[in-house]
Amino acid sequence: MPEPLLQVQSVTKRFGGLLALDSVSLEVQPGEIFSVIGPNGAGKTTLFSCLVGSIRPTSGSIRFRGEELSGLRNDQVVSRGLVRTHQIVRPFREMTVLDNVRVGALYGRKRLHGAAARTHAQAVLERTQLAHRAMVKAGVLSIGELKRLEIARALATGPDVLCLDEVMGGLNPAEIQQAMSLVRQLRDGGLTILMIEHHVHAVAGLSDRLVVLNFGKKIAQGRPGEALRDPAVVAAYLGDATEAQA
Amino acid sequence: MSFLRRHPALPAGLLFAIGLLGAPLVAERGTLNDLWNVAFAVVLASAWNLLGGFAGQVSLGYSAFVGIGAYTTVLLSLAGWNPTLTLPIGALLAVAFSVAVGLPTFRLRGPYFTIATIGVGEAVRVIASGVDFTGGASGLRMPPGTFDFTSNYYSIVILALFTVALCAWLSQHAFGLALEAIRQDIDAAEALGVSSTRMKLEAHAISAALVALAGGLFAINFQYISPSNVFDFRLSLSIVLMPIVGGMGTVVGPVLGAILFSYLQIKLLASPALRDSYLFIYGGLLIAVMLFEPRGMVGLWERLVRKLPRWRAPRTAEPHRA
Repeated sequence: MPEPLLQVQSVTKRFGGLLALDSVSLEVQPGEIFSVIGPNGAGKTTLFSCLVGSIRPTSGSIRFRGEELSGLRNDQVVSRGLVRTHQIVRPFREMTVLDNVRVGALYGRKRLHGAAARTHAQAVLERTQLAHRAMVKAGVLSIGELKRLEIARALATGPDVLCLDEVMGGLNPAEIQQAMSLVRQLRDGGLTILMIEHHVHAVAGLSDRLVVLNFGKKIAQGRPGEALRDPAVVAAYLGDATEAQA
Repeated sequence: MSFLRRHPALPAGLLFAIGLLGAPLVAERGTLNDLWNVAFAVVLASAWNLLGGFAGQVSLGYSAFVGIGAYTTVLLSLAGWNPTLTLPIGALLAVAFSVAVGLPTFRLRGPYFTIATIGVGEAVRVIASGVDFTGGASGLRMPPGTFDFTSNYYSIVILALFTVALCAWLSQHAFGLALEAIRQDIDAAEALGVSSTRMKLEAHAISAALVALAGGLFAINFQYISPSNVFDFRLSLSIVLMPIVGGMGTVVGPVLGAILFSYLQIKLLASPALRDSYLFIYGGLLIAVMLFEPRGMVGLWERLVRKLPRWRAPRTAEPHRA
């Protein structure tokens, strides 16, 4: 096993009386597509928020290329090369699509200036098939386009690890196919992908490995074929068969 | 011509600048005094707009910066300084104060930030009224022989033009884009690497320096200051209302608001019956803006232009920003 790129060790997050993450550990290798799945409220998004520093874990350690991330602010984590998208899209609605992406190019890890930031942003829009929408206000985009804009902005920051929070939610089957091939392209381009996804077909088709969370706890991990068949995982999604009989 | 189409306010702005700079050649002193007030209002409104409009951080404590600039100028002049040399000192003190206030308050969001700034502004006023070296509530007078209207007039006009030009420049560059991102969604901005606290501190510091410079010029021009004129909450309120009525977050809006407000104030002060009613009129204007055109006079103008298709410039691609 090579040195893991991202190492999450016993991360716990408590919101008052709610234990959102209960000592979750995982390791992500460079160049893999790693999925985090689980029922609603399992703590997946909370885990992403802890990774990028938008919330602080109650305890535990997050190491990225050997460097401790917990305690850093979101913008500092971005400058180290770890960036996330949001499940509920958060575009700057009154800005053009290009300007949305320029924010990432100007202030992300690359910190490009002026014309370079613009060129980079345009290149990212090409990759995410948004180039034809560059000059419209982000507020008028369709949900599929908004999801791609989330990815485009995050890509523009120049990350090594891209955390995708349900980028396929709300998409139609054709758009899901597109999104899957985009994720594959990004990985083949050298990125490491960490994704939260509900769409089982996408998870099974894309992931090299995955972890399953339920009520903040890791209940399974491994290759998608094995982990998805794990009885604990089936129980978490479909309910416990023995409980139902009792 | 495409340059003009991208910057439709530029010709009007240049005319305004030439008018202000050329006025001493033709206008009499009364008019120049009024224009002094216009330029002063333009500095305050445009500088406030950097943080309040572009970054959406509505501060109601800006009289503190006017006061810091004004008191620095008077106190140092009384200590024997050349009044002009006191201006940068006031600006530096205002920058330091803006950082000291910003570090704790920029952790607050939305209305909580605004409420905190009211507290800060009032605290400064109360302190200035209470301590001895500021002359307390009775205020301070500039030493004699420090007044030269013409040079003061040119100073405030150049400061006003510089402030507007700086805002226009910043709005077209990365810094302006970051402030805009912060205004629209601060968490999303941070998720893309924008260090929001640092950006807000920088915007706060720049605007504090500009406002303090205007405060120093105010002290020289009026020769007398007291907590009830330079640290007044009503001054803070006017500073906020001008950009809101004119059009927050635009370059032109605060200028329009400043012109309208100083014109109103001049008219109102001239009529004893209306002298104390200006807050009533400002309040009415604010309600009208909030109800009918949240984008202020700039929004009203754009609506008007859309309604008059003959005037409309041919549709071209969206403006390219460098």
